Amino acid sequence: MSALNVIVSNIELVADGIRHFTFIAADGGELPGFSGGSHVVVSMPAGNRTYRNAYSLLSSPADRSNYQIAVRLQEQSRGGSRFMHEQVKVGTRLDISWPVNLFPISRVGHQHILVAGGIGITPFMSQVHDLLRTGAGFELHYAFRSPRHAGFIDQLKQLLGNKLVCHDQSQGQILDLHALLSRQPLGTHVYVCGPDGMVDALIATAHELGWPDAHIHNEEFLAPPVGEPFTIRLRQSQKNVDVGAEVSMLEAMEAAGVDVPYLCRGGACGRCELEVLATDGVIEHHDHYLSDAEKGAGKKIMPCVSRAKCSFIELNL
Amino acid sequence: MQHGYWIRSKPIYHSLAWQYKAQAHVLLASGEGGRSVLRLYQQRLPDQPVTVLYLPAENEDYSAPLVTVVGTSLQVFPDARELWQRFDQVLQQSRMGTRLYAAGTESFLWQATTLAVKHGVLNADVMREQPASLARPVYCVHCKTTTHGVTTNIAVCAGCQRHLFVRDHFSRRLGAYMGLMIDAEDPGNVPDAEEVYP
Repeated sequence: MSALNVIVSNIELVADGIRHFTFIAADGGELPGFSGGSHVVVSMPAGNRTYRNAYSLLSSPADRSNYQIAVRLQEQSRGGSRFMHEQVKVGTRLDISWPVNLFPISRVGHQHILVAGGIGITPFMSQVHDLLRTGAGFELHYAFRSPRHAGFIDQLKQLLGNKLVCHDQSQGQILDLHALLSRQPLGTHVYVCGPDGMVDALIATAHELGWPDAHIHNEEFLAPPVGEPFTIRLRQSQKNVDVGAEVSMLEAMEAAGVDVPYLCRGGACGRCELEVLATDGVIEHHDHYLSDAEKGAGKKIMPCVSRAKCSFIELNL
Repeated sequence: MQHGYWIRSKPIYHSLAWQYKAQAHVLLASGEGGRSVLRLYQQRLPDQPVTVLYLPAENEDYSAPLVTVVGTSLQVFPDARELWQRFDQVLQQSRMGTRLYAAGTESFLWQATTLAVKHGVLNADVMREQPASLARPVYCVHCKTTTHGVTTNIAVCAGCQRHLFVRDHFSRRLGAYMGLMIDAEDPGNVPDAEEVYP
């Protein structure tokens, strides 16, 4: 997969544990265009392994002079967010993927409700520019633990005025999802990004109120969870690949020189889907892509975040 | 007539069923569709408010039983224009979570859907039942007129009088099947029309 070569031109601490990076093209030219809600996958060479994490682009899609991402230091980082926080300095060269959008604003929607929790604000940073440009009706609801945790709040206030509604938990301002979702006119779409509990609660509330699925949008990139070691047998390429406890199946195959397609690496897009031919154990599905029926059938796996509890799993690759 | 093949765009209709997770329900019916509403009312009623808009047709008037069964949730309209006007107002005032149901001829189902789509509803989220006639709305690809109530495999376009072959190819945006001139290559050679959508 062809990469974009960029140089880190600025780093700022925008909230507790959240660093804001600006990238410019290594050749000094314009970067590829993107639409609101897009992300890039950043490759992070950390010693003998390479982490690849997806991060939303934060800047206005109209400005192609730079890309911006925000990275929160994960308390249980596998290494990616720690690498970005500790190793990356102004002037560091990085390889990033071309932008991909898995979280676009619906073009047929009449109104848009954006709901962000904490660092979940990031995909909305570029979307609000698109919404302002098209003149679509929208509100951004931003829930955070305290002003200290509210990255980009001043910038958003200035840009959005009364279209921004803050829910500061330290002030006891709890976002009432039921009230919010029950008063929206027909043709409204809702978008959510934030902690699992918030995303699940919003989706459940919307379903309970009768919102059709196609009006509910969420983006959640997962980090591959740790598990137990096992071996992948690749039927077509006649190779065995050992998967360590703290390595994802995708990373293990890449390290073994196997060309596996991928986009988001977070269990959201479905690009890396592989066919399971056999296993002597059980698949641990972690993705948000396969349906429950597909997960139950055990014939498909998303190697970016899912793994297996087994001694071997055979894939059609 | 086309046999033994299937086009993805051909809509498949089902019997109406209440969607119990909702904030409100709006039912739209014409003619024989009144019977679909009566059938729906034999299912357990939802807890949320229901509005039924009904347009009787000649020889297909279920107003009396609907008044009895549906009661004050029912509004009966003397003509289509008033029904569509009222439906537009209802959509304007509706909140997300309002479930939409339509029953009637295929033309009616897609007129209702097209109006709902103007309010940002996706066409897949309107529940539709075709209770009686299979008559089709047919869109002429030559003059862009839609001819309603076509029951035959070849029909005369109401706009340009061409003889149109009625395909299964359906446009959800136009709410009609594709009709194309059957004797374009051999003018005047028009096979006999057969009633296949009675």
